Amino acid sequence: MTVSLPQTNYLRRVDWFMGLLALTLSCIGLALLFSAVSAMGPSGSLFLTRQIMWLCLALIFSAISLLFDYSFLDRWAFWIYALALLILIVTWGLGKVTAGSRRWIEIGFMRLQPSEFAKIALVIALAKHFSGMDRPGGYTLADLIQPLVLCSAPIFMVLIQPDLGTAVVMTIVSASVILFAGLSRTTLLRLTGAALCLAPVVYFLGDHMLLDYQRRRLTTFLNPDFDPLGAGYHIIQSQIAIGSGGAFGMGYMQGAQNQLMFLPVKHTDFIFSILAEEWGFMGCVALLALYAALFVKGLSIAVGARDNFGALLAFGSVMILFTHVFINIAMVMGLLPVVGVPLSFISYGGSSLIASFLCVAVLINISARRLPF
Amino acid sequence: MNELSTDIKADYSLRARIAGIVILALILLLVVSLWRIQLIQGSEYIDQAHSNRTRFIRLPAARGKIVDIQGRDLARNTPSFVFSVIPGKLHNSSEIVRKLSAPLGTTEEKLRTVLDKAASGPKFMSHVIKRNLSLEEVSLIKSKLVETPGASLEVKPVRTYPEKETLCHIIGSLGEISADELTKGAAQGYHIGDLIGKSGLEREYEAYLRGEDGWEQLEIDAKGRQLRSPAGKSPKQGADLVLTVDAKFQKFCEDIFYQSAGSIVALEPDTGRILAMVSKPGFDLNLFSSGISERNWKELNTDALHPLENRAIRGLYSPASTFKLVPAFAALQDKIVGPQWKVTCKGELDLSGQIFRCWNQYGHGAVGMRRAIVESCDTYFYELGLKLGPDRISKYAALFGFGIPTGISPQELPGLLPTPAWKARTYGDIWKDGETVTLSIGQGYLTATPLQIAVMTAALANGGKVLRPAIVRRTVARDGNILFEHEPVVRWTIPMGSGVLAELERAMADVVSDKRGTGKKARIPGINVHAKTGTSQVIRAKKRTKDDDQIPYHERTHAIFIAYVNDMPKKIAVAVVVEHGGGGGLNAAPLARKVIAEYYGMPDPGESPQP
Repeated sequence: MTVSLPQTNYLRRVDWFMGLLALTLSCIGLALLFSAVSAMGPSGSLFLTRQIMWLCLALIFSAISLLFDYSFLDRWAFWIYALALLILIVTWGLGKVTAGSRRWIEIGFMRLQPSEFAKIALVIALAKHFSGMDRPGGYTLADLIQPLVLCSAPIFMVLIQPDLGTAVVMTIVSASVILFAGLSRTTLLRLTGAALCLAPVVYFLGDHMLLDYQRRRLTTFLNPDFDPLGAGYHIIQSQIAIGSGGAFGMGYMQGAQNQLMFLPVKHTDFIFSILAEEWGFMGCVALLALYAALFVKGLSIAVGARDNFGALLAFGSVMILFTHVFINIAMVMGLLPVVGVPLSFISYGGSSLIASFLCVAVLINISARRLPF
Repeated sequence: MNELSTDIKADYSLRARIAGIVILALILLLVVSLWRIQLIQGSEYIDQAHSNRTRFIRLPAARGKIVDIQGRDLARNTPSFVFSVIPGKLHNSSEIVRKLSAPLGTTEEKLRTVLDKAASGPKFMSHVIKRNLSLEEVSLIKSKLVETPGASLEVKPVRTYPEKETLCHIIGSLGEISADELTKGAAQGYHIGDLIGKSGLEREYEAYLRGEDGWEQLEIDAKGRQLRSPAGKSPKQGADLVLTVDAKFQKFCEDIFYQSAGSIVALEPDTGRILAMVSKPGFDLNLFSSGISERNWKELNTDALHPLENRAIRGLYSPASTFKLVPAFAALQDKIVGPQWKVTCKGELDLSGQIFRCWNQYGHGAVGMRRAIVESCDTYFYELGLKLGPDRISKYAALFGFGIPTGISPQELPGLLPTPAWKARTYGDIWKDGETVTLSIGQGYLTATPLQIAVMTAALANGGKVLRPAIVRRTVARDGNILFEHEPVVRWTIPMGSGVLAELERAMADVVSDKRGTGKKARIPGINVHAKTGTSQVIRAKKRTKDDDQIPYHERTHAIFIAYVNDMPKKIAVAVVVEHGGGGGLNAAPLARKVIAEYYGMPDPGESPQP
């Protein structure tokens, strides 16, 4: 294990801008959480203290991770992957049944969602796999069998939890990492063709195999007025909240939808609607700009990485964050079905916060250890 | 480490650029749709948010009723006026305090504290200030309401219980949904302020009783006029619960129970359906219907007799001598001794220095099984118990249903059936002969609920079938569909040789009809009552010097009595427990007699002299 502490050089190379972006985003999250819970009466403040505690933990973990060269992840990649898979299996077996799904594991007083970390482990494993292969002309279909097996195991475990949202995120992230690793032109064409043919089959299977609540969420996505007080409730209410924000919002802590408690889980997956209602279009654009800066910066880190593994890992980390942000906001606006994906850095929840910070820490790590020019 | 060749680097750079463009394009898509929702359609949504145009109105479903087998209401909904405020809309709370404290029948100070408390909760939720307003109060408040925005009068159904105390423990009560229940129940559509079953059947059958809320979408213009005919779904009323109990019979059983605490359970021995289930003391369920006051709650909770506890399924008592039927059954079934086997009772048993007394200090002389049951001779059962051994007794006790829940309700207690293995596990000590002796007369560690004792009685009456007792006969949806219909559940049948039960049956008949039978007070001319008495010691009796009324209440024995009638078309099995009621034959038997006589529509024959 290489601990590269003493170089003053290193501290100068740390991308503070990246860290500052992440911290700013999470502070915005805390402010929104404060607004969200203030309407819940005294009992809500517990959420705030817990989230602050999670933020401290996330910062500590990130700081510690920066002490190690990320090549550590390269060497231990398959063990990390195996451990993540094992924890997913254990959670599924022992996991406490919350709201009908087995996605939580309890460690002391904390409740962790292992799938949040499994995403990172999957990216590490994929990065390791592709960095060890050299195919100048791009990967062929045969080359993809191994990585597909690698992806499908954790995705399957997440899917049976059942956590459709995380499974979708993992699929998109894996696919984009594979694309980034580079496919040969013929492979790319074949895959596109296959996807077009498979789409109807997937639709048919989805229709028959989705769980009741998942199907209900999908139907309400297609027609929110179907049951306005039941499953469509979230979409309608959050659209009203977003829409009533207007250009400049109703003002912090002034959102009627928020204060009226129309959204039962607004502090987790629907927290964006509070931002939209209270800070308006301007606030939303500002937030999206912060995210965009984070992603663009992250991509440039991927390009500047010193090795193959670093580049793939950096790209995967950016994709994890981006997929969450996009799916979450699109879902809150009613552009995508409600699948339960948290908004990175902003949504209430410790596992998601820590995982997001770890992604940023990995990016900073890679950028700090890029080759000297 | 494989360093990057410039080739690969160029590839990555290109792909990263493509990815960057895709990411920015998707973010732009989000911005555009935000633009559309917030800036183009924004004002429309603002209107909706202010509920100027579209308003969703929740149409709460009426809760199902709980009725007795004859259809008499035990729990129903009555409309009542509720005064509530929305703290976020109150412009001037001091004005409300000033104007409405008198019509609400409280002082300004009290009303202010209540309003402050409401203000600390969610701001835009309506908080109930007072329920169950009288018409007079309503008219007084109404005249002031125009001047006080944020306060309102609503008509809400309130749960009332016309029979008051009758079946109070079984029916249970409603209460406002707690934060915890709300998190769990959000998926089922519960909202803040909803009433939810908190105890008894109201809680167990919540899913049936609750029904399904409907909704209505109204479009209203700025002046509050309705624009379109409403779209929506009408609410589905909850299903009614039909109990197995006849409220009139139940009430009779409650009324005759004049002692301060105890329980009566009457079952149909062939079906396990409950005919009456009394737990005394009780309470008026209507105390809970409009939110129980703190004073009443405290009173109920601190009462030394624990009126909130359902003794029939949660009270644990030693079955005492009523249990003697179990070792008797075990002995006959396993052919350890025959009915002719005799023990000479000298009033006590000396077990290597330890004295175990028979209730009759003068002794019963030489007794066989029949006499031992009829006169409830303890010495006989001491000796019999030693012959059987604790494991055999426990095995048969378990067969009669002791030590495990009867399955009527998740709230019931299982009681305790001790075995040598249990004792080693719990106390790390070996089982002593003295404990076998006390177990065989139903004392010691052994405890059971009145319902378990009644189930044993039913098994004796129906030829050994151990039933799962039931209180709910059926649930009926509003449209008349029967959602659930009770079918008798035989948990198991006790294996038995021919003539075993008949022997016990004769003995139990003699308990009532024999002139020296301990259950004479349960005699009803014309009805063949089978019974067994029991007197459960609360503390270890040292001497027999005191008269009953000289013993402090809490040291008096519990009176226990079981009885059944199984040779009529209508059958019944009864268990009576009178806490600190003295002797079972003396104080519990008359209650059983009255219950049985009433069941067969006869006047109480009283304590008849010899037939």
